[in-house]
Amino acid sequence: MESVIITYIGRELIGEPEQLLLKNDTPLLESGILDSLSLLKLLVFLEEEFKVPVDEFELIPENFNTVNAICAYIRSWQASRVSQ
Amino acid sequence: LSIHHLVKSVTKFLDLRHAHLYLIALMRPLIAFLPAPLAYGVACLRGDWRYRLDTYAREGIMCALTDVLGDQLNPAERARVTRNYFRLRSCEAVDMVRLAGRGRALARLVEIRGLEHIEAALAAGKGAILCSAHFGSFDSCFSLIGAHGFPITVIGRWPYKFGRPIERFFFQLLIRKPVEHHRHRPNIQPRGQFDTAVQAAAILRQNELIGICLDPPVLAADRRRAVPMDFLNGQALLLPGAIMIAQLTGTPVMMTFMRREADWRHQVLEISPPMPLDGDTVTAFRCCLAVVEAAIRQDPSYWSLWYPLSNLVKLGLLPEKTIKAHDKFEAITDKWSEWE
Repeated sequence: MESVIITYIGRELIGEPEQLLLKNDTPLLESGILDSLSLLKLLVFLEEEFKVPVDEFELIPENFNTVNAICAYIRSWQASRVSQ
Repeated sequence: LSIHHLVKSVTKFLDLRHAHLYLIALMRPLIAFLPAPLAYGVACLRGDWRYRLDTYAREGIMCALTDVLGDQLNPAERARVTRNYFRLRSCEAVDMVRLAGRGRALARLVEIRGLEHIEAALAAGKGAILCSAHFGSFDSCFSLIGAHGFPITVIGRWPYKFGRPIERFFFQLLIRKPVEHHRHRPNIQPRGQFDTAVQAAAILRQNELIGICLDPPVLAADRRRAVPMDFLNGQALLLPGAIMIAQLTGTPVMMTFMRREADWRHQVLEISPPMPLDGDTVTAFRCCLAVVEAAIRQDPSYWSLWYPLSNLVKLGLLPEKTIKAHDKFEAITDKWSEWE
C-alpha cells in the first residue's frame, strides 16, 4: 500500500519526483507536497484504489501528514468495515 | 474621566474622519427600500457624485483602463466607463440590501435565463459549479440563485481586517448578513487551509451548487501553484482550482453573469450551458477565462477589480510602480471601497 501511494504522489502530485526522495515518513503537508487541491486528487485516487469513500475520510492533518499516516488510516478504516 | 477624554475616546472609536461614510452606510437601507426607480436613481446620483469628487479613484481607474486595455477605449469611452464603474458599485450596494428577507425586492427586478441548465445538472446528481468573476452584482447573483431554492455555497474570502470595530459592524449588517442569508452554508473562505477543495467536493457530492469567481487576486501563499494565464492583454496569475475540482468530481461548470438594463434597476442573470472541460485543467480553465474576458471587454465598467490598483498588481496585470502614484488614495479608501 505504501509503495502504491508513494508512486502516485511522485508521479501525479510532484512535478519532478526525481528531485525529491519521498519516504514513508516525509511530512507531506509541512513540505507543501500536499495542498488543498492535491489532497483532493489523492483522496479521489485512494477512493478508486482502496475503496475508501472521500466523504468518509476524517479530515484532520494527522491523517495525511505522512504516507505512513495515510496507510494507517486506510487500514483502520478497512478493519472497522470488516468488523461491521 | 473628563468630558475631553470621553469625546476623544468616542472619536477614536468611530474614526470621525469617515463620518460622512457612516452616514451613507446608515442611509443605505432606507434608500434601498425606496421604490426601485428612486432607489437606483439615488444610487446612480451617488455614483456620479463619487465620479466627480473622488479624484484619486477616478484617476486610478482611468489609469488602470489605459494601462491594461491599451487603446481599446478612447478618452471619452474611458470617462464613460469610469463613471459607470462608480454607478454600478453604488447600484450593487442597493442590490445587497434588497436581498434582505426573502430577497423579493431584488428578485422581482432580475430575469434569470438558463435555470434549466442548473436543473438538468442537479437531475444528473453531481451538483454544479457556477463560475463568475468580480463582475457586476456577482455576490447578489449567487444569493439570488439561493433565494430561488437552489442549495448554493460560495467559495470566496470576506474581508476580515477592519480599521475600526464599527466598520466590521456595518460590513456584517449591510453586506455579509443579507448576502449569506440565502446561501446554504457560510462561505468557504480559502486562506491556506488544507481541506478547502475537499469541502467543495463533499458539497458537490451532496448534489448541491458551488459558486466561485475565477479571477480573485492570488494570496502570497498560493503564488507557487498559481498559473500565468493570458488575460486582458497581459499574463494574470490565477488559480484553476475550480476547474480541477470539476474535473475530479465530474461536475459540470456553468458561467454566470448579471448585467443591468439601461434603466439601471432591472437586471438579467444569464447562466450558460455547461462549459467543455475536456483536456487538461489549464486548457479548460483558459476556455472559461475567455468567457470572463469577453464579458469584461464588452463592458469594462462591470469589473470591480479595476480599483484599488493593488488588485491589478496582485493579478500581475500592472507593475508595482503604478500603485505608488495612487497610494495616498489606497490608504484612505481601500477598506471602504468594497462596501461603501
